[in-house]
Amino acid sequence: MDFVGKRGWFFLTSLLVIFPGIVFLIIAPGLKPGIDFTGGSAVTLAFQDEVTQGPLRDELAELGYADATVQQLEENTYFIRTKELSDDAKATLTSGLETALSPSGSDELSFYLVSPVVASETVVNAFYAVLAAAVGIFFYVWWAFRNVPSPFRYGLAAIAALIHDAVIVIGIFAILGVVADIEVGTMFLIAILTVIGYSVNDTIVVFDRIRENVLTYPNRELAEVVNLSISETIGRSLNTSLTLLFTLMAMILFGGQTIREFLLVLLVGVIAGTYSSIGLASQLLVTWEYGDLRRILRRGKSATATA
Amino acid sequence: MRRYGRTVAIVVALVTLAGVALGFPTINIGNFERGGDDTPLGLSLGLDLQGGSHLVYEADLRDPATDEPLEVTEDQMESLKRTIERRVNSSGLGEPIIQLLDSDRLLIQLPGVTDPERAKSLIGETALLEFKHRQLAVPNDLEEITQDDILSVTADFLTDPDASSTPTATSTATSTTTPAIADDPDPVVLKVEFSEDGAIEFRMVLDRLMDSFLTATAQSQSGHIPPVPSFLDVTMEGTEQLRFNATALPIGTSTTYAIGFPVDSESGEPPTLDEAKRQVGEDAKIFFTEIQSYVDEDIGLTGEKLTRAFPSQHGGSGAPIVNIEFDDEGTRIFGRLTQDIVLKQETTGQSDQIAIFLDDVELISPVVQTPITAGTAIIQGRDFTLERVRDIALLLESGRLPIPITLIQERDVDAILGEDSLRKSVVAGAVGLGLVLLFMTAYYRLPGLLASIALMMYAAIVLAIFKILPVTLTLSGVAAAILSIGMAVDANILIFERMKDELRAGRTLLSAINIGFDRAWPAIRDGNVSTLITCGILFWFSDQLGATIVQGFAATLAIGVVVSMFSAITISRTLLRFVSSTRLTRKLNWWTPSGKSGLPQQATTGAQRS
Repeated sequence: MDFVGKRGWFFLTSLLVIFPGIVFLIIAPGLKPGIDFTGGSAVTLAFQDEVTQGPLRDELAELGYADATVQQLEENTYFIRTKELSDDAKATLTSGLETALSPSGSDELSFYLVSPVVASETVVNAFYAVLAAAVGIFFYVWWAFRNVPSPFRYGLAAIAALIHDAVIVIGIFAILGVVADIEVGTMFLIAILTVIGYSVNDTIVVFDRIRENVLTYPNRELAEVVNLSISETIGRSLNTSLTLLFTLMAMILFGGQTIREFLLVLLVGVIAGTYSSIGLASQLLVTWEYGDLRRILRRGKSATATA
Repeated sequence: MRRYGRTVAIVVALVTLAGVALGFPTINIGNFERGGDDTPLGLSLGLDLQGGSHLVYEADLRDPATDEPLEVTEDQMESLKRTIERRVNSSGLGEPIIQLLDSDRLLIQLPGVTDPERAKSLIGETALLEFKHRQLAVPNDLEEITQDDILSVTADFLTDPDASSTPTATSTATSTTTPAIADDPDPVVLKVEFSEDGAIEFRMVLDRLMDSFLTATAQSQSGHIPPVPSFLDVTMEGTEQLRFNATALPIGTSTTYAIGFPVDSESGEPPTLDEAKRQVGEDAKIFFTEIQSYVDEDIGLTGEKLTRAFPSQHGGSGAPIVNIEFDDEGTRIFGRLTQDIVLKQETTGQSDQIAIFLDDVELISPVVQTPITAGTAIIQGRDFTLERVRDIALLLESGRLPIPITLIQERDVDAILGEDSLRKSVVAGAVGLGLVLLFMTAYYRLPGLLASIALMMYAAIVLAIFKILPVTLTLSGVAAAILSIGMAVDANILIFERMKDELRAGRTLLSAINIGFDRAWPAIRDGNVSTLITCGILFWFSDQLGATIVQGFAATLAIGVVVSMFSAITISRTLLRFVSSTRLTRKLNWWTPSGKSGLPQQATTGAQRS
C-alpha cells in the first residue's frame, strides 16, 4: 500500500478533524470547566426513605446535574456537590429527588458554597509541565536517532504528533461541551496526560522501524523506506490499538457512568495516537525531506498568478 | 534450559513474592505494616475509588482580649487551606480533597479511614504557634492598692496576737535581702493593716507570687533553669526611707499582713523592735511593687509567618539544633525582636528570652545571642538530643496554621466515583482485558498465551509494588497503570511480530526468539525511556508548581513502565525460552499466526494479514 503518496490526504484529514475543534475552542466558551475547577454548591440531604447511590446518581443526571458528585455519609444521607445552586434551584432539585426517590421527604442537613477542589492554576501548571516534557522527549528522540540523517526532524515530528493528538482530544471536548454539555474536570487532565504518553510511545515504535530500515537500505529513497516501515508496523499498530479500544469500549458500554468521560478521552486519544504516528509523524519526515511545503506554496502562488 | 536457570529462579521468586504480598490483605513484619482488610488485595485506594474520612472544620478566630469571635477574611481561609494542603500532601496520606465551605468552614476529605487520629493530629486542628517576647523582672506598680487602702503601718513582733499561719509555709525566701523569718522564733516585722478591698488585692498579689515561686521550684526540680520568680519590692517612707524585697503573710484578722523587716545594711542583723519602731515612726507610708518574674509580650509573630522548621546538626560542634525560617513579615518582626533583646541586654544587662508557645503551652524559651535579621535562625540547647530537636521541629511545623480551627463534623464517606459504578467498571475492565488476552492467544497462538501469562505476572508485580511502597491508588494511578499495561501488551506484540518475521524468513525457533527480541528491543527501550523522561519531568515540574494529581500520575506511570520493561525483557523472554526448550517446539504451527504457518516469505514485502 502506498501510504506516503497519500500524505496530502492524511494532512487534510487531520486538518478537518482539528479545525472544528479549534473553532469551538476559540469562538465558543472553549472547554467547559467542571465543578472541580469552578466550585459550586454542596448540599447534605438525609432522605426519609431508603435511597441508594445508583438511582440517586441517575435521578441527578435526569434533573440536569450529571456532573454532581455523590458521597454517602450515612445510610440514606448523601453529600452532594454540584454546580452553584440558587435557593430556587436547590428547592427544585430537592423536590425532584424526593418525588422520584423518597416520597416521605428529606431533611437538608447542610448547604454550603464550595470552593474549587483544584485551583485553575493547576491546569496552567500541568500545561507547562507537559511543554517541558515535550522538550525532554524532543531531545531524547533526537539523541536516540543520532545515527540516521537529520535526527532532530524525528524529534520535532514526534512532538508534532503529540500536539496533534492533544489538540484533537481537547477540540472534540470543546465541541462536546457545546453540543452535549460535557464538562471537563481533573479526570480530563489525567486522561490527556495518558493520551500524550500513548501517543509518544506509538510514534516511537513506527520511527524505530524507519530508523532500522534507513540504516539497512541507505540507498533507498526516504519515501520508499517510510512506506515500507509503515507497512511493516501497521499490523502491530492495529493490534495494539484494537486491543486497547476493545477494553475501553467494554468499559464504556458496560462499566459505571462515573468514569465514562475519562474513558471517552482515552478512546479518542488512542485512535488519534495510532493515526498520528502513521498519518502525521512519519509523513512529516517525508514532507520535510522533499520540501513539500515550499512546493505547495509555490504552486499556490503560481495558481493565484494565473487566475 | 540450564542456561536460563537463574533468570527462571528470579522470575519465579519475584512472582511468588508478589503473589504472597497480594494474597494476605494485611502484612505485618515488625514495624512494617501494610495493607488493610477493607480494600481489594489490601491496596490503599484514594478518595475517588474508596472514600475515607470527611472532616469539616470551622475557623475559630477570637479576639485575644475579649474572647469575642472575629470575622475571618478570605485571605486567611485561603492561606489556611494552602497550609493544610501542603501538610497533608507531604504526609503520604494520599491526595486529599480540601474545599472551602461558605466563608468560614473547611471541608477536608482524606482517603482511607485507617487512622483518623493521625489525620487529625496532622491537620493540627488546634495548634496555634506563637512567638512572644519574654521580658524578665518586669515591675508592676500595683496601682490597685492605693494609699487609702493602707490603714496603718507599725513595727511589732510577729507572734504578738495569735498568729494562725505557720511562717515556714510561705517563707522559703528567694531574695537574699529578705530576712529569714523562720530562723528567728519571733522576728520583728512590719504590720500593715489594709482596708477590706486593699486586703483582697494584696492577697491576690501574694497568690501570684506564690504561684510563680512554685512554678520556678517545679521547673528547677525538672532540670530546667527557671527565671527568677516574682517577688515583692517594698518602699517604706517613715522617719527613714527603706527599700527592700520581702515576703508577706497574713496574721490575725484577714486584713493585716506581716512583712519581713529588712536587715540593717551595716550590721547585717535584723533590727531590734525599738530601732524598727524608730524607723517606721508615726505616720509611715508604704508602697508595693510586684517585680514579675517575666511577662510574655505578644509581638504578632505566629506560626503562619514561619515558613519552615527542621532539625539538623550544628556544622561545627555537631550538636543537634532546630532550624527555623520566617517569611518576609516574620523576618521583619523577628529581626526587630532580637535587636530589642540584644540592645536591652547591652544597656541593662538583662537577658530577655523568646518564648515559643504551642496552644498556650510553652515549648521552649531560648535566649538571643545576636540580632537576627536574615529570617533564619537556629535554636540550640544544652539538653537537646536528636530526638528532641526532631520533635521540636515537628511541633513548630504543626503549629503553622494561620488561624485556629475546630472540628465540627467527622464522618466516613464512600468513594467519589461511587462504589456501585466502580464495581461495574472493574468488571467491564476485567472482561475487556480477558478479551485482549484471548485475542493475543488466538492470533499469536502459543507466544500469545505465554504473553498473557507474562501480563498477569506483570500486573501482580505492579500491584504488589503499589501495596508495599505504598502508593495510594486514585483514578489517575489507574490511568497510569492502564497505560503501562498497554505498553506491556505493546512490547509483547512488537516482539511477536518480529519473531513471526524471523520464522517466516526461515529461521529456527530459538534463533527467531532471540533475534525477535533483539530487533524489538530498540523500539521498546526508546518508547519506555521517553515515557520515563516524561514522568520525570512531569513529576519534578508538578512538584515545583504544586499540581499533585499530575505528580501522582507521573509516579505511578514510572513504576508501571519500569516493571513493564522488566516484564517484556525478562518474564516474556524467559517463558518463551523455557517453552522452546520443551517438545512444544515441534508443533511449529503453534508458534505462528493462524493460516500462515510455516510459509516462508520475504520479510521485507511486509505481507500482513490485518
